[in-house]
Amino acid sequence: MEEYYGRQLVQPKIKNVPAYVSVAATFNNHICQRCGQTDIEKLPNYHFYCRACLALGRVSSRDVLLSLPEPNLFDGHDILSWSGKLTAKQQEVSNELIATLKEKNEHLVWAVTGAGKTEMLFPVIHKALTQRYRVGIVSPRVDVIIELAPRLQAAFSKTDMVVLHGEQTQDYRYTPLVLATTHQMLRFKSAFDLLIVDEVDSFPYAGDKMLSYAVQQAKKATGTLIFLTATPTKQLQKRVRRGSLKTSYLPLRYHQHLLPVIKTTLVGNWRRKIPKQLVKQLTHFQRTEQRFLIFVPKVADLKKVYDQINKHVPHLKGDYVHAADSRRQEKVQAMRDYQLQYLVTTTILERGVTFPGIDVLILGADDTTFSENALVQIAGRVGRKNDRPTGLVRAYVQHISLNVVAAQRQIKQMNHRGKKLGGRK
Amino acid sequence: MICQLCQTFIKQTPSLLQTFGMIRWQPNKLCQACQSEFVSISCACSGCGRQQNNESLCFDCQRWEKQGKILLQHTSLYQYNDAMRDFMQRYKFNGDYSLRQIFNHELIQYVNNMAIDLVVVIPISEYTMMTRGFNQTVGLFEGVTLSDLLKVKAKNKSHQSQFNRKGRMMRTQPFTVSKSLPLHNKRVLLVDDVYTTGNTLYHAADLLYDLGAKNVKSLSLAR
Ligand SMILES: [Zn+2]
Ligand SMILES: [Zn+2]
Ligand SMILES: [Zn+2]
Repeated sequence: MEEYYGRQLVQPKIKNVPAYVSVAATFNNHICQRCGQTDIEKLPNYHFYCRACLALGRVSSRDVLLSLPEPNLFDGHDILSWSGKLTAKQQEVSNELIATLKEKNEHLVWAVTGAGKTEMLFPVIHKALTQRYRVGIVSPRVDVIIELAPRLQAAFSKTDMVVLHGEQTQDYRYTPLVLATTHQMLRFKSAFDLLIVDEVDSFPYAGDKMLSYAVQQAKKATGTLIFLTATPTKQLQKRVRRGSLKTSYLPLRYHQHLLPVIKTTLVGNWRRKIPKQLVKQLTHFQRTEQRFLIFVPKVADLKKVYDQINKHVPHLKGDYVHAADSRRQEKVQAMRDYQLQYLVTTTILERGVTFPGIDVLILGADDTTFSENALVQIAGRVGRKNDRPTGLVRAYVQHISLNVVAAQRQIKQMNHRGKKLGGRK
Repeated sequence: MICQLCQTFIKQTPSLLQTFGMIRWQPNKLCQACQSEFVSISCACSGCGRQQNNESLCFDCQRWEKQGKILLQHTSLYQYNDAMRDFMQRYKFNGDYSLRQIFNHELIQYVNNMAIDLVVVIPISEYTMMTRGFNQTVGLFEGVTLSDLLKVKAKNKSHQSQFNRKGRMMRTQPFTVSKSLPLHNKRVLLVDDVYTTGNTLYHAADLLYDLGAKNVKSLSLAR
């Protein structure tokens, strides 16, 4: 019975349905009742299925949706086992979130990379759990979920939590705390009293109608929705300006140092010949054993750049990684474990993944794959360590790029706000 | 065009002959990268169509012969590798019926070039039809006139008492004939999605020979 609480699960009509479960049609006017889309594909015999949400198992006109209302059958004896301290500004934001929980509202937390937003969430999550609320924390990016899982479980060590995403097979259980990718919200219905969407501006959530529908469906009508990001989309920024979205700002990193600015170097056609300025920088890294990431625009650039580095600076130990790389987790782990000094990567490592104390180079930063927000996120990889709160972010460009200039301006604006709060260089 | 498997954009340039209508312009369903993952069968066992270095009968086919079977001279277009396994997972088990189009043109062409009188499809059970919603083989061969001569037998009707060979065969025979169709002097082609052990196809062929078929060959997408 529990497995249906706040869920909507697909089952063929022909299978037996338990008597206590409510049954709903899968389509209404050709609108998929799980994902709200009309991306219909035909089956024989006048049947059809939904292609939009196919990745989570097919919904067809031969199926029904099974669910039960969320009864909040939790004991509320939850303990915040995290013993860290919030900065004054973090505390302020944290209090604003607790107020939002009471008002059952929507709220945006606009916090710079490295602001410590996860810790800021702990008090509001704790508050919700002690009220027997069901709490969901979701992100479009599976890396974010994987990195968050142990930290969240450590902070709420007495609370039962389930982690749901496509790259693993943990079975679903009925728990007060759910950590999942946004796609998984398609399997929930009016379940969450508090739903937190991390990295709300990132692919594939931003601009995806189905995923925002899924998030809205998964929370209760009376639920609270909190969005988190360092780089809000234009749409979110518009809502902030119009005042239709309550917002908390956190322009300063938890270690009270300002964001590293992006420096630019003009180079020639780097795809034809590795720039001498880059070789010089790499040689310097080799001497100082400084760890770093090199971002390149395209998957096809990865191996070429990696080979060039090996040729010109042969004793640097590194690797290259991209989104569809089957050894992606392994390579990222090797970098974390200090087995590698560097990774050449595409924008997949632009966020979520933290390697303390690294520097960042962006080769071909003027390529259109690097949006303003992507560049701000990439720069945000640097200076994430207490004893090395700054670092180098260098963009190699063939031409002056509007995106690079806009990213530099965005960082400057945040630093301007941060300085007022006492931020140091 | 968008690649049906990985959704990347495909640039399409018709060849000169295609532009002038000399040969039919068939847009690619897959991008180069996805297409290259599928491996054709180049040299195969003449009995079951499995990829090997020569055309002589493999061990399994020699065993079929010993059991008194007339070999199916099976042909498969592609090897059952990781890419094909993934394709089958998405098409058949996740039920993405639209993927039937990917190999459809190739399969139709192949059937059209064979000297046969009737194409019989391997059936699926009523239960599978109610859940998956389609016969995966019918989908793959859409456009070919298929006979639904064979049906999956309803379960729980086993006659345990018969001990002779015919009885044992009856028990394991998963199919039955849906209508009495005389097949005298007919050359029949059996089609299926994947050839795995051959059991399914040989059971089907038994019934077709019982109906008087002159010969029965078989074809599948993968082996
Ligand atoms: Zn759907
Ligand atoms: Zn493809
Ligand atoms: Zn063989």
